[in-house]
Amino acid sequence: MVKVFSDKEFGKLIQRTLLAGVSLSLFFFFLGFVFRFSGFQSAGAAFRAGVLALALTPVARVAMLVYGYWRTKEYRFALASFTVLALLLISVLL
Amino acid sequence: MFDLTFLNSSLLVIFGFFIGVLGSVMGVGGGIFIVPMLVLALGIPIHQAVAVSLAAIVASSSAVASVNVERGLANMRLGVALEVTTALGSIAGALLAGRLSSNIIQLLFALVLFPVSAGMFMKGRRALKHGRARSAPAAADGIPGVFDSEFFDHSIDSRTSYRVKNMAPASFISFFAGGLSGLLGLGGGIIQVPMMNLLCGVPIKAAAATSNFLIGVSAAASLFIYLKKGYLVPELAAVIVIGVLLGSFAGIYILYKARSEKIQMAFSALVFIVAVKMLMK
Repeated sequence: MVKVFSDKEFGKLIQRTLLAGVSLSLFFFFLGFVFRFSGFQSAGAAFRAGVLALALTPVARVAMLVYGYWRTKEYRFALASFTVLALLLISVLL
Repeated sequence: MFDLTFLNSSLLVIFGFFIGVLGSVMGVGGGIFIVPMLVLALGIPIHQAVAVSLAAIVASSSAVASVNVERGLANMRLGVALEVTTALGSIAGALLAGRLSSNIIQLLFALVLFPVSAGMFMKGRRALKHGRARSAPAAADGIPGVFDSEFFDHSIDSRTSYRVKNMAPASFISFFAGGLSGLLGLGGGIIQVPMMNLLCGVPIKAAAATSNFLIGVSAAASLFIYLKKGYLVPELAAVIVIGVLLGSFAGIYILYKARSEKIQMAFSALVFIVAVKMLMK
């Protein structure tokens, strides 16, 4: 039997994706400050990793929307999300 | 280059905290305050300030949306539909940045904001007089639309359902809201929230939550372009983002507890302040 993907599960998936991205970027930012105040050279790399994790969070969220709407068979929203994902990728490449 | 001492960093975290609270409650990214603060008070070049502002908007949007989506306050279907034109607009805006006169853009933007502010104020005042904010109930005249939704409003302890209308003009306006993101480093919430509330009939809390959901994407689209151009100062962004994230989570509590009419009145005041500020430039 095919397991139903409910709105609640979908909401949780998006929530976890966003929280994971935000937490990861916060982790790198705090690491950057620890490195900076301890005089380590890698502070800049940690800050840049934090910014990258932050910028990629909405991208990951849109990718999860494509997956979620595909699972719930709401294909027009899956297509809209996919279009947004493509536009985000274009902005990365520009 | 601005020196990030411990004192400066602490002050910027506090500033970011207030921007985060504002973003959570009103559905705006706070770029309208971040950019002038960084440029005028700290002497940071405008393009670097815009890049930091975009990073702060992405942070605020992601943090607030993570809660609002799970609780059903953010209307994901509406957000996704508007994201398409918003993202297109933000890419166009970021590419045009520097080629268009930002003074003219800000003047036109300010002139649009005055009637928006008045409309929000009148709607909020009417709602205060009559007890609570009204919106078109879902499925009032037959088949429910795909964007219709409902949420539990903790301030009145009941569910609020609503019907979403005028999606075609809303998508068109979203394109310009996205364009502002790329051009001026704004999230575009200052346009998205009143548009959803006044044009689409979305209750203010759901409009703010949905705006928060979608402005992260438009800001990210512009942020990638600014990152590639090398405008972002990661340390500065980190300090502001930490404050914004703390403020965003604190602001969610206010959003759930505050009455819609009061948020609406506060938002109309915010729009008015922004319009005056832009006109004075």
